[in-house]
Formats: sequence, C-alpha cells, structure tokens
Amino acid sequence: MRSVKHFIEQSWLLIAAAFCFGLLLAMTNAALKDKIEQNQIDALNNMMRGLMSEATNFEKVIDQAEIAGYKTDIYKASDNGGQIIGFAFVGTGAGFADKIKLIIAVDGTCDKFLGFDVLSSNETPLFGDRIKEDWFRAQFVGAPAGALELIKSGDTKKIDNKIVAITGATVSSQATVKIFNDHIEELKSILKEKGLID
Amino acid sequence: MAEPNQGNLGNTFIAGLWRENPVFRLLLGMCPTLAVTGAVKPALTMSICVMFVLTCSNIVVSLMRNLLKPHLRILMFTLTIATFVTIADLAVKAFAPEMSTTLGPYIPLIIVNCIIIGRAEACASKNNLITSITDALGMSLGFTIALCILASVRELLAAGTIFDIAVMPDKFVPLAAMSMPVGAFITLGLILGLINAITKKRA
Repeated sequence: MRSVKHFIEQSWLLIAAAFCFGLLLAMTNAALKDKIEQNQIDALNNMMRGLMSEATNFEKVIDQAEIAGYKTDIYKASDNGGQIIGFAFVGTGAGFADKIKLIIAVDGTCDKFLGFDVLSSNETPLFGDRIKEDWFRAQFVGAPAGALELIKSGDTKKIDNKIVAITGATVSSQATVKIFNDHIEELKSILKEKGLID
Repeated sequence: MAEPNQGNLGNTFIAGLWRENPVFRLLLGMCPTLAVTGAVKPALTMSICVMFVLTCSNIVVSLMRNLLKPHLRILMFTLTIATFVTIADLAVKAFAPEMSTTLGPYIPLIIVNCIIIGRAEACASKNNLITSITDALGMSLGFTIALCILASVRELLAAGTIFDIAVMPDKFVPLAAMSMPVGAFITLGLILGLINAITKKRA
C-alpha cells in the first residue's frame, strides 16, 4: 500500500501532464485532420491533373492495392464524357538517399505511360533531385508500358523504352526506372483482375 | 550561461539576440541551422515553429516549476516539448503543406533541439512566467535572425534569389555547392569567424 502511495506522490504530475497533453493533441488533431487530408488529396489531384490534362474526374477505383511490396491506391481518370483517360498510382522504391515516391500515370488501356511526377524524394539537390526536371520526365511520356531500359547517352527526345540517365545522378535515374519496371506488370494484372482493362 | 535576472527583462530579451545568441554564441540547435538554411522561406518557417515551441514550453515549465521532482524534470520537459512540436507539425501540414514537404523531418526533429530543453532547464524551471516568456522570445528571435542571415547568404549565392525573388544580375553564375551541406558548413564557419573577430576587437 505504501509503495502505491509513494508511486502516486512521485508521478502524479507526469500522469496528469500526459493526460492533459494527450487531450490537447487529440483536440488539435481533430481540428486539423480534415484539412491535412484535403491538402494531401489536393496535392495528389494536382499532380494527376498535370499528368492527364484532359481528365476532369479522378476516382479511386482500388483501395490499398499491394504493388512491388508497397500499398497504393489506384485512381481512374476520365473526361466529362466518361471516357477513361488513364490510371494513376503511387510508385515507391529506394533512391540514393531515401525512398522515392512517384505518381505514375498510364493510359486507359495500359499500353503507354503518360508520365510521372515526384510526390516525395530526398535525393541530393542539383544531382539526384534532377529527376524532377521536365526533360527527364518527358522521356517517360508516351513510352511503352513495359520494361524500360536506362542508357547512359542517347536522344532524350526519342520516345521509346530507352531512358537517358541524368549525368551525375545514375543511382537516382536507375531508381526511377526501377520503380516503373517493378510496378507496371503487377499494376496490369491488378487492373485486369478488377476488369478495368482487357 | 548567465541566468536571466527577473528584475531586468530587457537584458534577458537582448541576451538571446547577441550576447547569448543560441546559434552564433552558444552553438546550439546546429541541426536545423545547417539543414534548413538553403533558402529563406524554409528557414523562416522553422524559426516560427521554434518560437512557438520554445515560448509554449517555457510557459508550461515555468508554471509547473515548483511541482517538478528533480529526477522527473527531464522527462517532463521532453513530454512538454514533444506535445508542442507535434502541434506545430500538424499546423504546418494543415496551413503550409508545401513547406511541410520541403522541411520534411526537420519540424518533428525540433523535439531534440537543445535550445528548447536548454532554456527549459536554465531559465523556465527557475524563473517566473514573465521572465520565461521574455527569455523564450529573445532566444527564438536570436535563432530566427541567425537562420535568416545564413539562409540569405546561401540562397543568394546558390540561386541568386532572396525569398525566391531574383536579385542578382543575369550574368551571375550560381554556386551550386552553397545549397548543399558543404555550403551550410562554410557559411556558418565564416559567419562565426566574423563574429569572433568582432567580439575580440570589442574586448
């Protein structure tokens, strides 16, 4: 009995503070949660809109699909007439410094990539983070939705399955191509399984 | 580190700006100083978060200073600081999502910023509320000034901009290294050298 009294005497402030701070955090979280979720949805939608400019509606068609060991939602993009423009998902993989997360878009039949945008990356500024540059990203727009190959030099304007690496950022270039290669076949089989593509 | 005198709030406030500037004189909080000063906007966001956390934690610690058990005080400081850092992190995510992405893990890392726990231990746990608030404002303003000076130099030399506004002539060749960690170390070293030279001359 004495030990319980001693314990309470010693720790009542800590217990009370933990309760008050927990309550404060719960209230703050409740107040800001919707806005934070909306910001994340807006960021995702803006990127998807950038990749599929003809699309007006973005609908989540598959919740938390597991592709290449990472869970991602898959979105269907369609125009005002209901025609499917493409699908988008978050592709994740190891980069040079940390995980790279890309928004990748494919066309409605999964024949071509429509491009990608970088959702998050901690690649080295001015080197690895050049995967965000337009000329590098443009190489993926219209590329066949299959295995891509990274090459050291070549014509960056030629659209095929060959992607020219960024000088000084080979690891980040490889990581980007690997994310595409790791995800595309699994994506196709998931979309086929759900009857979203033939 | 001198303890703030309750009778001299002005001195307490000014100490954080120069004599006990947390970055330039005490060399505390080096992690954000080096990591987020690539540009002025993230540096300013970090400074505002530190100001919020430091002020709130100093208020709470000062209010409960007479109830603190010596062996539990560090635990109480950490609990208090972690709470306000989480609130700051949620607020930045809600109201400045792009800045939250830019700053990445560095806002949650304010929890281990030794300026905050240092002021809780050296000032707030021994002084009244007004002195603790004054100390927090002085220290965090000193931190803000230091980060903004560092970030201005680095952004100017790395991109030719300040607050993303181009200020350098077209012929200016950006020094890419200044936006990288090496730029942070060099700039901080040069500024510290300059400050040491000034203070030696005065002495």
